[in-house]
Amino acid sequence: MEYWNRILFCTLFPACLAGAASAAEAPEPGTYRGQGIVLHASARTSEQMAAFYSARGFPANAVSALAQTCFVTVGMRHERRETVWLELANWRFVDAAGNEVRRLKRSDWDAPWDQIKLPPASRATFGWTQMPESRDLQPGEPVGGNVALIPPAGVFTLEAKFRVGDAPNGPLLEARIPGISCEGHGAPEVKP
Amino acid sequence: MMRTALLLLALCLAAAAHAAEPPPGLLTLDGRPAPALKLADMDGHTTDLEQLRGSWVLVHFWATWCGPCKKEMPTLQRMSAQIPATGLRVLLVNTAETDDEVFAFLPSVAPDMNTLMDRDGKATERWQPRGLPSSFLVDPQGRLRYLALGGREWDAAGYLAFLRGLAGRR
Repeated sequence: MEYWNRILFCTLFPACLAGAASAAEAPEPGTYRGQGIVLHASARTSEQMAAFYSARGFPANAVSALAQTCFVTVGMRHERRETVWLELANWRFVDAAGNEVRRLKRSDWDAPWDQIKLPPASRATFGWTQMPESRDLQPGEPVGGNVALIPPAGVFTLEAKFRVGDAPNGPLLEARIPGISCEGHGAPEVKP
Repeated sequence: MMRTALLLLALCLAAAAHAAEPPPGLLTLDGRPAPALKLADMDGHTTDLEQLRGSWVLVHFWATWCGPCKKEMPTLQRMSAQIPATGLRVLLVNTAETDDEVFAFLPSVAPDMNTLMDRDGKATERWQPRGLPSSFLVDPQGRLRYLALGGREWDAAGYLAFLRGLAGRR
């Protein structure tokens, strides 16, 4: 659990990312740094996901569904003097052939959770560990969480787009993180 | 003599105005009424935000799995020890976890703090924090006045001065 906590710490409190990025001159794998933004993305393994949610009392069928999904943990912080508009709908995950990897929105989980009658506490925990779909990020405000994908084969790239300014139709910023991989993803053995 | 007095007065007014300015990381809200919050702690003692009218209240949502919460919690404890509870009450609200999870975590990071338990996460949902951790400052009339953006260092000088200022103007 310590490993996962460290990951979540860096994800949800990206000040540690900023420190790590500034300490190294060379680009850090999984990290974009530029235009006043630090963005980090790395895929979790099935084992990490299963361990995290099992330890929080999620039922086996929920853990199994989560372990079969590719989760990319994203952390971000910006130091711009204006609002940065996060809209996951404007992000793309693309594979090596340029095909878009399907992202599962928060609402996509409602039906499976209804079907297995996932308890409200587990639904709440799951929700708070996900990246918000939309957010007006204020200067210095961190944001982080998991983004769920249908597991793609091979490595893929995150192409993130943000609008900046007082309104969500301001100038566009783009950030790109290549080399993300969910390979080897599958359902681990889950003990009830 | 008169000029010195006027200068001192101006300095005092400037200091007061500065103290009223929220430090970086606190977002000023529009003063809408705070959502209801009535929860029990792990001992079964219930706290109702409604009953705390007359004091500023810092409502802090957290979870044990959240890394920034672990870093922020000790600063909340140190801040609480320095500001009289009559002026500022601190309410921790654990989001959707069990007694065991909280009991394994809280004594190691903030042993003097107690937390309310939002066992099904529905109270947290009503408050719509921007993420975890998240802290709201509720004024003595029960209105949402400030929101902390992510984890904050509550015992830093700028925050202590600001919170003391709030606690002093109930």
